[in-house]
Amino acid sequence: MADGILLERAGLPAVSICTDPFALTAGAMAKAYGFPGFEYVSIPHPVASLSEAQIQARVHHMLPDLLRILGVE
Amino acid sequence: MDASFVEDAAAVRRAMEYYADQGWTDGLPVVPVTESYLAEFLAQTDRDPGDVLLPMPQLNRACTVRLAAINAALAGCRPEYFPVVLAAWESLAAEGYPAKGIWQSTTGTAPFVIVNGPVRERIGLNSKGNVFGSGFRANATIGRAIRLGVLNVFGLRPHELDQATQGTPAKYTFCIAENEEESPWPALHTEFGLAAPDSAVTAMVIRSCLHIEARHTRVPEQLATDIAGTISRTGALIHETISAAVVLSPEHARLFSAAGWGKSDLRQFLFDHAVRTRQELAAAGKEAVSSRTRWRLPADHPDALPLEAEDGAVRVLNSPAAVLVVVAGAGNAGVSAVVETFGPRGGPPPVTPVR
Repeated sequence: MADGILLERAGLPAVSICTDPFALTAGAMAKAYGFPGFEYVSIPHPVASLSEAQIQARVHHMLPDLLRILGVE
Repeated sequence: MDASFVEDAAAVRRAMEYYADQGWTDGLPVVPVTESYLAEFLAQTDRDPGDVLLPMPQLNRACTVRLAAINAALAGCRPEYFPVVLAAWESLAAEGYPAKGIWQSTTGTAPFVIVNGPVRERIGLNSKGNVFGSGFRANATIGRAIRLGVLNVFGLRPHELDQATQGTPAKYTFCIAENEEESPWPALHTEFGLAAPDSAVTAMVIRSCLHIEARHTRVPEQLATDIAGTISRTGALIHETISAAVVLSPEHARLFSAAGWGKSDLRQFLFDHAVRTRQELAAAGKEAVSSRTRWRLPADHPDALPLEAEDGAVRVLNSPAAVLVVVAGAGNAGVSAVVETFGPRGGPPPVTPVR
């Protein structure tokens, strides 16, 4: 979250990605950085133990959300 | 207790409920703090109340002397404990891990505070029986003072910025004194440049505290092998290597000493024997390390570095200096502990004088 917010503030479009169990912390971190409501993508948990194919499936699934937040038509 | 206390108690209770409602607690009641009480803590140090003890730039927050004093008072410290609390904050800043964000991690670590020198006696720190247990105000409240600071100053609260998956009981408090009187060896702080009449705090980031039962042996190699087996458990291996504070009971320390072993002999033995075979590591899927993070993972993971050819034992410590040796507890049984530390893997620990 911090990286996403700092990149945005530096003028670089960015989307933070978290897994669902991190929603509370993501919100707290956005608030700590003075950016409550910072929009990010939340995906199912876990990620660390997935296979390469499963990772690719996650990416395909989140892609529309990523593009929407980036403002890509 | 006479009636005047009971009348005051109602006011104290209201204050405690107020603090709880604000979330300024670890779940246990805290001591109400007024400006005049705070002044008693600040009078214990020459430092400016605004001096920064530990910054966390990623949160844009910093613990100052004044904030450390407020949380020491909340924790139930007596004002004369405050120089030890200050040294603990300085030691944690020097150790380095907290400022890197470890207390936001799912890992769930806590501060571990070791106190040496005459201040132990002066403020009643326990170094003997039940050294990890409850019952001693100085131990209980100094460790808690740091944790309340972490919660209140940095906002590192569970379900908010503290993402610990399970955490550790050490998050309530974890502060011991070394049992210098019953140790056959030089005290921890004198190993790192301070003199015996100095008082010092060595603080570090830890997670688990694991006990070793060895009442049966008089053979130093057997006891050291037991300790090495605990240090090298695969469950501890998130990174390529680990580090440990070995807290020996006086009985175990004397067993080593009587056989002619010093602390450095024990460290060397543990370095050489805290090992796992490649096969044992592979059975847990931890035989390789990531090329990016140096975390352990299976050899067939896309990030895994190629395995070295040799099939022999893999060390879990990167140097003898990755082990600290401290003596604490009662001299009544062959029970010791390994505290799994997260700090520097070697190099001197952050031994900090109490001023």
